[in-house]
Amino acid sequence: MANYIVKRILGALPVFFGITLLVFFLMNMAPATIADAAGGGEASSAVMRAALEANLGLDQPIPVRYVLWLKELLTGDLGLSYRTGQPVLRMIAQRVVPSLILTGTGVAAAVVIGIPLGVMAAWKPGSGWSRLAGGLTLLSYSAPGFFLCVLFIYCFSVVLGWFPAANMYSAGSGGGLGDLLLHLALPASVVCLSSLGNLVRQTASACGEVLGEDYIRTARAKGLPEWRVVWVHGFRTALLPVITTILNHIPHIIGGSLVVERIFGWPGMGSLLFTSVSSRDYTVIMGITAVIALAVLATGILMDIFYRMADPGVGWGGEAK
Amino acid sequence: MRKYTPARLAALALAAALMAVLFLSACGQQPQGETEPAGEKETPAVNVNYGISNPWDSLMPYYSVSGSNYSRIIYDKIYDRLAYVQADGTCLPRAAQSWESADDGYAILFHLDPKATFHDGTPVTAQHWADTITLVTNPACETLGRATFVGLAGTDETGAAVAGETLGVEAVDEATLKLTFTSPVLPEEFLVDKNRDIYVLPTHLLGDIPPEEMMTDDFWLSPVGSGPCKYVSEVSGSTLVLESNPDYQLGKPGFDTLTITVMDKSNLLTALIAGDLDYYAFGGSLSEENKPVAEQAGFQVLEGEVPNTFFELMINNETIASADLRHAIEKALDKELLCQQNSGTRGTTTSSSILPGTPYSSPETQGTYDPQGAKELLASAGYNGETYTLACTSQRANLAALVQQNLKDVGIQVEIETVDSATMFAGMYDGTYDLGLASHTPTTLPLWFTGERFAPDHNLFHVADLSHYTQLLSAIRSETQERARIDLVDEFEAYLNQEMPFVPLWFTHALHVQSNTVTGIDYPASACCNENVWQWEKKA
Amino acid sequence: MKAKHPALRAFLSDRRAVAAASFLCVEILLVLLIPLVLGQDPNLTDRAAGFWALPSPQHPLGTDDAGRDLLARLLAGGRVSLLIGFAAAALGTVLGVPLGLLAGYKGGKWEYWIMRACDTFQSFPSIILVLAMVSLLGPSVWNIILVIGGLGWASVARLVYSGTLSAQKAEYVEASRALGATDRDILFRTILPNVIAPVWAALPLKVVRAILSESSLSFLGVGLRTPQASWGNLTQSAMELVTLTTRPWAWIPPGLCIVATALALLLVGEGLRRALNPRSRTERALPFSSRGCKIKP
Repeated sequence: MANYIVKRILGALPVFFGITLLVFFLMNMAPATIADAAGGGEASSAVMRAALEANLGLDQPIPVRYVLWLKELLTGDLGLSYRTGQPVLRMIAQRVVPSLILTGTGVAAAVVIGIPLGVMAAWKPGSGWSRLAGGLTLLSYSAPGFFLCVLFIYCFSVVLGWFPAANMYSAGSGGGLGDLLLHLALPASVVCLSSLGNLVRQTASACGEVLGEDYIRTARAKGLPEWRVVWVHGFRTALLPVITTILNHIPHIIGGSLVVERIFGWPGMGSLLFTSVSSRDYTVIMGITAVIALAVLATGILMDIFYRMADPGVGWGGEAK
Repeated sequence: MRKYTPARLAALALAAALMAVLFLSACGQQPQGETEPAGEKETPAVNVNYGISNPWDSLMPYYSVSGSNYSRIIYDKIYDRLAYVQADGTCLPRAAQSWESADDGYAILFHLDPKATFHDGTPVTAQHWADTITLVTNPACETLGRATFVGLAGTDETGAAVAGETLGVEAVDEATLKLTFTSPVLPEEFLVDKNRDIYVLPTHLLGDIPPEEMMTDDFWLSPVGSGPCKYVSEVSGSTLVLESNPDYQLGKPGFDTLTITVMDKSNLLTALIAGDLDYYAFGGSLSEENKPVAEQAGFQVLEGEVPNTFFELMINNETIASADLRHAIEKALDKELLCQQNSGTRGTTTSSSILPGTPYSSPETQGTYDPQGAKELLASAGYNGETYTLACTSQRANLAALVQQNLKDVGIQVEIETVDSATMFAGMYDGTYDLGLASHTPTTLPLWFTGERFAPDHNLFHVADLSHYTQLLSAIRSETQERARIDLVDEFEAYLNQEMPFVPLWFTHALHVQSNTVTGIDYPASACCNENVWQWEKKA
Repeated sequence: MKAKHPALRAFLSDRRAVAAASFLCVEILLVLLIPLVLGQDPNLTDRAAGFWALPSPQHPLGTDDAGRDLLARLLAGGRVSLLIGFAAAALGTVLGVPLGLLAGYKGGKWEYWIMRACDTFQSFPSIILVLAMVSLLGPSVWNIILVIGGLGWASVARLVYSGTLSAQKAEYVEASRALGATDRDILFRTILPNVIAPVWAALPLKVVRAILSESSLSFLGVGLRTPQASWGNLTQSAMELVTLTTRPWAWIPPGLCIVATALALLLVGEGLRRALNPRSRTERALPFSSRGCKIKP
């Protein structure tokens, strides 16, 4: 098992470098640099431009810059932000928790709602539950995120006035849990809705498959009550694919949601990413890339280990998945 | 069945982890939002929620990478400036109580307010101002704010101090700052032009930091200034919490904390109506279209009297080298229609970048829309059906589509590139684009727009021969008699009209949605990147 | 109706899927044909009507903020959105299927590098790459298709890869190998037909995703070349409060079109999945199916 883990980690390294390499080169090939973004884009003279590029090391070729960045990364330092001059690590650290709160709550809500709904849909097809599940799935898959945000703000904030339309806390309120939850309601609902469809579908199809299996029939034949058959035997078997679905959301949980955070003014990683992309703040973009990539790869490895523990038939050798 | 136990464990662990993260982080966040000083628990803190659509940069005011007004309006709160500039160009006392010309116009004396103190209690002296300017002009210092000091005696064309020359800054006494320039400068013009970029730094706290590390030093993570608000906390690029400075020389702002939050532009008005914001930058400006929405929601809308936005069509004079062709472009544009699309009835078309209503503006404005004339000019200019690239930001895409149709009507082919503003200006600068749609905040100075765009190292419009421009510009700059200067400006304007290096389009008067919760706001002045927060009053 | 192929017969017997597929066909015909009848230029300003004209016989959905006919733009936008959706999904599939086959069949180095590339593209919110690539390539319909499609290969490849892995162990592959079939024959005659079914079933969802990705790009300010319309950028007008509150005719039609198209595509996808999966052809529980599995007592 230890061998397997080491092997998996070694296998993940090229992926990590692949991701950073890809993002680094793509970002740096974009037509404007931060020196162009400076001075509102046009007030900067050629001299200022050159000075800024030299300050930030932008006068070096892209491959050299990548190597320098890697060197910094290995020392655990993500450098200083081009835009703010602050340490990138500090800027990211400030954003991780809000993103976790927002996307974590959204996905947790999706799990709480989606799994029972999916099971019900598989158990009682054609019922009201199944229709509800179908409707929600559809909405989740088909509505563009920004559109949902705007509609929610309009309905629940402007017209009904139930929830605040922006920020994480109402400033000066002391920032209690209640206040946070109020502010969380709308953006988390959007996040929840957009991950709900996938969860319901996966649960329903995994459950549907399981409910047709022989041992379920056996369980029924033994006279177990129907709810027990479905919820205990059926659902338990369907857990693995469902967990996979949840784990696949990890990049989004860590990375936050660009659109939702931007519209709601939520201080998470997504809005930092948005700001950094538009101001060509490469050090921050690369920092976020590295953090998300690490998180994703780590969960990937954990996921595989769980799989193998859950299904001894696969064993500890061979290719993952 | 036994074999699925680990899976269940995994699920449980996952659920537990999610819950733990949620609650831990919720609790962990609490102290950050807590801005109320201990001991004042009886009266809840009065907080002003302030929205802004773009983030600020570093909190070091001379290291603003974007150099944008979004950063300046933030610095305006933490740091003090010499004066407060109103929309019509009137300068009121702020850190300086008064100012006067000296040395035949070559110098300005600023009489500083002796009551001004830094947030750490140290009084602000003229020496602080002198040390700040010495620091920023020090070539070793990697500042981005040096260009402000071009023209100060003893600096080169980048604003860096020249070794061996005397820098034109001097603390005459505790409360008198003297700035000396290489050519005569009028104090009001200097302030209108530069005030928004000159701040006093707490140099007494910066002694240990070498100049080359000054800009990114940790000091600026929780800065000390002498402005009307004190720094409390920041989530870079997202929220900034400030508290009012009770010792501000012009009076304590009428609130306890000011929380500045970055939000999508389209959400600012919505959040104001929903009560999540008390005010948003700049000056609560809104489009004419949204005016009835705001009024219906119970807000009053103030009509600005001084135009606060100037629109122009930038031209690459290298790829569109014929002046006739550039004139044809101007004649092809139905400025009235474009202006109406963008600004409704709040715009006035123009053929000059000079702010209407100032002594330098020419009173008569005649329409320039003449498609027939454009076609004739086009024929004589020998336009060969080339397709030009027009760059604009995504918010202006539909305006650009109208421009495209206008030009197509006379036979000029245009392709639109919707990019962000950095890419647009970079592309104009390096010649990728032939045309660009941009807007700017004007000041009352005659050269606010033209002054910087025809310099040899910043030739935005790619003019082949700048000599006549530079000659006229320096003549205007060194002329101190208003009458003679007006004549020179007229001459320059005539030359611009003949050459048409860019097409001036229109000026827009802003609409300001007024806060229902905060009183005393000078809405129009926000266009000059300052806000009179010390006169704001929010009732608890 | 008599269909030879059992999968086709199964699909045709699913009323919902057939209705959805017909809806899509009609929709495609409409966005292609109506503009010919209507004769309105979606990119031309009607100066007489003015900006944001109210709906009228001449402009059934009014005009937009540049005085252009919104119905014409809705139809033109439909062409663009549907084109992006289908073309991007097709591109992703065309790239992903051979790579998945290669990785699964060849194993070794092929497997290692293709699957590592797969991980690379899948372990990251692709929006950063999309943003960077679109700003690099410049806005146009084909570039958007290229970027969205080009980044969509990984999920297809993984699907095909795992199918290939299990198919390889199947008896019929062993048998044909024993009979001396070439690699090519085994790959394309034996394995491909067996692993392609889930790809077909996943295709409609990929189309939906591509249509939505385009609309997100519009929100982020990169995307199509102005003045081109798409359902995404037409819906975008709802971001303006006054349009949201007072001009529902401007944003509800494109919004509905996106949702309706997505619904139809999802139903077709479900129909395909059921039809192509012989095991579940008769019984399957689905979120929005009225006649799913009957649990046998």
